[in-house]
Amino acid sequence: MKPFAHFNATSMDEAVEILGRYGGRAAVIAGGTDLLGRMKDLVLPSYPEALVNIKTIPGLDAVGEDRGYLKIGALTRLSALASHPAVRAEYSALAEAADRTASPHLRNLGTIGGNLCQDIRCWYYRGPNNRFSCLRKGGGRCYALKGDNRFHSIFGASVEQGCVAVHPSDTAPVLIALDAEVETSKRTMKVMDLFTVRPLRTTVLDQDEILTGVRIPVPSPGTKGAFLKFAQRKSIDFPIVNCAAMLTFDEGVVKEARICLNAVYVTPRRAYAAERALAGRFLDEETAAEAAREAIADARPLQHNAYMVQVARTLVKRALLACGGQGE
Amino acid sequence: MVDNFSDEQKKGMEEMQDNLTADRHPLPRYKHIGGRGGRRLDGQPKASGQAEYTMDVILPGMLHLRFLDSPYPHAAVRSMDTSKAERLDGVRYVLRYDNPEMPEKASMGKFHGLYGDQPPLPGIAHFEGEPVGVAIAAETEAIAEEALTLVEVEWEERSFNLDPVKAREKDAPLSYPEMYPAGNFWNNGLFNELVLGDAKKGFHESERVMEFAFSRRGHTWIGPERPCGVFRWNGESPEVWVKQQRPHLVKKNLATWYGGIPMNSIQLHCLYQGASFGGWVQVPWNMGPLYCAGFVAKKTGRPVKYALTRREDFYGQSMDDGRYSLKVGFNRDGRINAVKGSSTMTNQLWPMFNIMGHFKENTSIPHLHGVTESVWVNKGPAVPTRCEMLPTSLCITMVFNRVAAECGLDPIEVALRNDGIEGHGTDHLAEERRNRGFSDVDSMKECVERGKKAFGWDAKWHAPGTRKLPNGRMHGVGFTWTHEWDDSLGTSEMAIRIERNDGTATILAMGCDNGVDAENTYCRIAADELGFRLEDVRYNPQIDPGFFRMSPDSSTNASVNGWAVRHAARIVKAQILQAAVSPTARTQRGSYRPAFPDCTPDDLDIEDSVIYRKSDPSQRMSLGDFVREAGQSGPISSSESAGYRWAFSEPLFAFGYQVQLGSYNPENPRPHFTRQAHFLEVEVDTETGGIFLTSVVNVNDVGKAMNPMSCEGQQYGGSIMGLSRGLFEEMIYDQATGVMLNGNLLDYKIATIKDVSCPIGTILVETGQGYGPYGSVGIGEDIGTVMTGILGPAVYNAIGVWIDDHPITPDKVLKALGKT
Amino acid sequence: MAKSGDISMFTCPYCSTQRENFEALREHILADHKGSLLPEPANRIRLLINGLEHAMNVEPEWTLYHLIHDRLGMTGSKQFCDRGACGSCTVIMDGLPVLSCMVLAIECDGRTIETVEGVARAGHPLIESYVKHHAMQCGYCTPGFVVTSKALLDRNPDPTEGEIREALSGNLCRCGTYPQHIVAVREAARTLLKEKEDSGGER
Repeated sequence: MKPFAHFNATSMDEAVEILGRYGGRAAVIAGGTDLLGRMKDLVLPSYPEALVNIKTIPGLDAVGEDRGYLKIGALTRLSALASHPAVRAEYSALAEAADRTASPHLRNLGTIGGNLCQDIRCWYYRGPNNRFSCLRKGGGRCYALKGDNRFHSIFGASVEQGCVAVHPSDTAPVLIALDAEVETSKRTMKVMDLFTVRPLRTTVLDQDEILTGVRIPVPSPGTKGAFLKFAQRKSIDFPIVNCAAMLTFDEGVVKEARICLNAVYVTPRRAYAAERALAGRFLDEETAAEAAREAIADARPLQHNAYMVQVARTLVKRALLACGGQGE
Repeated sequence: MVDNFSDEQKKGMEEMQDNLTADRHPLPRYKHIGGRGGRRLDGQPKASGQAEYTMDVILPGMLHLRFLDSPYPHAAVRSMDTSKAERLDGVRYVLRYDNPEMPEKASMGKFHGLYGDQPPLPGIAHFEGEPVGVAIAAETEAIAEEALTLVEVEWEERSFNLDPVKAREKDAPLSYPEMYPAGNFWNNGLFNELVLGDAKKGFHESERVMEFAFSRRGHTWIGPERPCGVFRWNGESPEVWVKQQRPHLVKKNLATWYGGIPMNSIQLHCLYQGASFGGWVQVPWNMGPLYCAGFVAKKTGRPVKYALTRREDFYGQSMDDGRYSLKVGFNRDGRINAVKGSSTMTNQLWPMFNIMGHFKENTSIPHLHGVTESVWVNKGPAVPTRCEMLPTSLCITMVFNRVAAECGLDPIEVALRNDGIEGHGTDHLAEERRNRGFSDVDSMKECVERGKKAFGWDAKWHAPGTRKLPNGRMHGVGFTWTHEWDDSLGTSEMAIRIERNDGTATILAMGCDNGVDAENTYCRIAADELGFRLEDVRYNPQIDPGFFRMSPDSSTNASVNGWAVRHAARIVKAQILQAAVSPTARTQRGSYRPAFPDCTPDDLDIEDSVIYRKSDPSQRMSLGDFVREAGQSGPISSSESAGYRWAFSEPLFAFGYQVQLGSYNPENPRPHFTRQAHFLEVEVDTETGGIFLTSVVNVNDVGKAMNPMSCEGQQYGGSIMGLSRGLFEEMIYDQATGVMLNGNLLDYKIATIKDVSCPIGTILVETGQGYGPYGSVGIGEDIGTVMTGILGPAVYNAIGVWIDDHPITPDKVLKALGKT
Repeated sequence: MAKSGDISMFTCPYCSTQRENFEALREHILADHKGSLLPEPANRIRLLINGLEHAMNVEPEWTLYHLIHDRLGMTGSKQFCDRGACGSCTVIMDGLPVLSCMVLAIECDGRTIETVEGVARAGHPLIESYVKHHAMQCGYCTPGFVVTSKALLDRNPDPTEGEIREALSGNLCRCGTYPQHIVAVREAARTLLKEKEDSGGER
């Protein structure tokens, strides 16, 4: 890799101060599993002058209950999250999502914070040596729109930008379905609000703002969750489509539904129409199928990814049925 | 030269070169050949991390060489400013393509004469990612990489082609204008034609005629160790470490470089190799960087290492990328009368095998017409990737299964009905077998019977699209078959030396290990032939075409090399026994008391490294004792030995060789008797398009399994590679820019351990009907090749719809089901 | 310890406090840090590799793989993809199998590392069972598998076939030796369990 300066931050203040000093020309490194790959490939038009290691800041990898929330430090490794007894017991969908991410080795390095903040996946965007200086990098156009878009957005481009690259996180849709929030060095916000679609930005974080953790409200009684991932290979691969669902039942009737897809759009995508279709109804094959249809009713596939619509529909249906205790 | 071979032995050695009949002089019994559990020679080094590969070589003062890669699929360097790169700290040499001391062309591999000499560092790129224009040597790889970003190039972008069907049209731009100015065809479009009988007539005589087409996307080798090498000059002599499957070719090419270098002045190290799967070794993109490294090493006076990046290693593809059209005439009972096939494929560098090749070699179909076109497009070269017989294997799979489907028949029935050779049936095959001295076993029947039983075929096979499982998925099974490979075309020389002092045996032959445990096989042959214990035989790899070994050792080359080592072993054994009965017991240096003075060589034999008298085994002497005295004698200077009578004689050493034309000989082709059969069970999720593998059985008639665990390793490895190709593997290009989109191991997908978690049955049949020693044939090259297409019929059986675009990814399944 | 990138010339290397001039800094150090060892530069790291202490200065951009393979000459770990997608560069860091090509050496100060060389030198039964069951062909991915398997057996001494597959699901083998790994790891597990039994408890 090209050289860069490196700082092992010992406190959040120190990390923020260094980031501020570099004015956007430094990057935070946590697990490094996304960042280092991008640096090796010289994907972006500019290369970080400095990396600020936040793994040396104590206290950012704790998992524990705290006043009605499960709090997860941003530096919690995905493997630790997947095997944590409290997470497996009470938030099994999250444990499943963490456990399905990447590979065992990468789960030992990657963190929940990094999984949320990771960059988009698009083979034009990620072409080595910035081969395609695309819209998302401040360039003129999106190459995937008319190109090979077999893994890209099935819900069109974002409103502000014409980018169709997908967000690949497996944990994000579960956290959104759990109505979780992220805590940063500056503020707290819903997980869904963390994401944005701007040139060189996938999150709303300021240049000197760092994710510190996630907090999940304890689900109401009668809530069941599920997470499903569809990929080509059964390990290592990013999702082609994934889906998280949290259903709260009251005497068999769905009182509340939160359904979130990812890898199908530029940010994680709540299936509001599907949630509305389920509210107040019993969950069975028919209602699940109807909700699934609603989830993809507004899909606008590109030339090569129409199949993803069918996959998304299937995953929504199966995730819902899994919440109801019925197998795939 | 020892000259007391029996007439039978002499005749046997002549016939070894004949190689057109069954082995007439096999061993009466085997001790190590065919045994399981023989210790791999490379096992401990590889498992412990001690095994050294070219990528691990680090020499003092070594520079790192990196190349500029073309961002365009077809472009020339119009001008290039390297001044900034030259000034970067740590850059030691900037080699430009237009350096006046660089040759216009050099011997870069000459892949079967098609490519001709090429520039070691071209100024024109013909595929995106091709190393072009400039190579930079620096103190570290990172500096070289950074320096490349400082090179300013003005490119002359040219029109390009990606699709062979489009590139063959009249107004298509030229892909390789310098080499093929007349058009994007090789040989005026007719790459290869095969005719047997009269296909038109055959269609006329058929009850049914069907036409279909399929596509196979190109895939690539993904060798874990990337092409790399280190070049150091010792004075005028090159010392080279290189990752190469055919090191003798490296040496041959190198000898013509830099004004010419005597072969005996070149020292070449071929360390352990991180996988080679075929023809990469002979193409310019493998040799060019080595040339540049040598050039820069000379200029800088320092060793130079190059290692292609993973991205750069995606420079070439398999030989099956293209479109295939087939017309088949058949009867309702499954008998096939005629097949006409035409294929339009990309960048073929090996002209040997027509798509109807296997139809001719192992079926009774009387009328065949195969036309293969090779069209030049702006992608990398298409070379044997595990094998060049991918296209014909794909066609066998598709044709046989399609006919079975049309007739509503079990595809195994159709295969058995059409087994044969050159348009003749199994009776003719049996006659040929008898004429050539082989056993009278029907290999195909044997393979199929054992495979069906192990797989449970009868219970599992059903009409297509009719079996839904409790888990909601559709169940399917697939079958394919063809002959076993025994196509070795080549030569081999291997020598055996009996060590002084302890009588152990060393096999001297060219070194090139890519993991198939072949060296173990040769040690077994030598041990059984010599009568030695296996642990007393060792393989000592040499790099020297004087001890040339047919390589790579996965292209059935055990059958060529096996003959050579056996020949050498038989001569050495005769030498040992001759020396043992010699009145003055001459061997090595000096005289010593005779071992068996009253015997003739025929009175003796060797077992477990002990020479013994057959009629009275208590008369025995170990090889060690036999040579020890002579081995220990040195220059005699003391007066005690002044009266000792010296008699020098040849050392116990011999080389054997084999020249094999095999089935490549058009004058006298060898019929293929041994068969292979493969079975696959799948589940298809019709709502997502996902495919799950649930059972695999490989049956290979290897004639004689000299090293069964090595054979099984090939069955595992080949089926996993084939299935990976069927499910995932394809090289994806952006159509607008010609850029490869998935040149990395995340986006180009090879199977993980979880993707092939099903049981993989490995059955070895041994009919002895191979032309190799002891009746053996090859196995390494063929399974991966044959299994590449089997997913097609398996998925068809599951969902009742043919998917004719491979690999079979979920989007294609859903499309076939009308769900998208 | 000094932070790299500090502009001031009068920063105390021990406690980072600032002084206005050299004299003031000198006085402070003599008064407050007398007897302290000279501070080490920020890029000096200490590692315990295969039981041996290593102390060295590293460049920030060096990956752990580069340090181990190119600088320390432990060439057992291999580079297949250099992008975290194949497992061939696996080392065990503080008990967990990680990809050395995706870890910066400068961030490993104080860590305990085991490489394939260490696993072999310790005579781990995995080596022998890998040899015996031909769990290799070209051998390039083999060290990554051995190290990953060793880490598995350390934390799960009696893994099921499914657990072995899961643990090895990040290791790519192009030669297709996957079936043999299951057998080899199971046998090594049995050997270790028996050893433990025979020695009556903790190994």
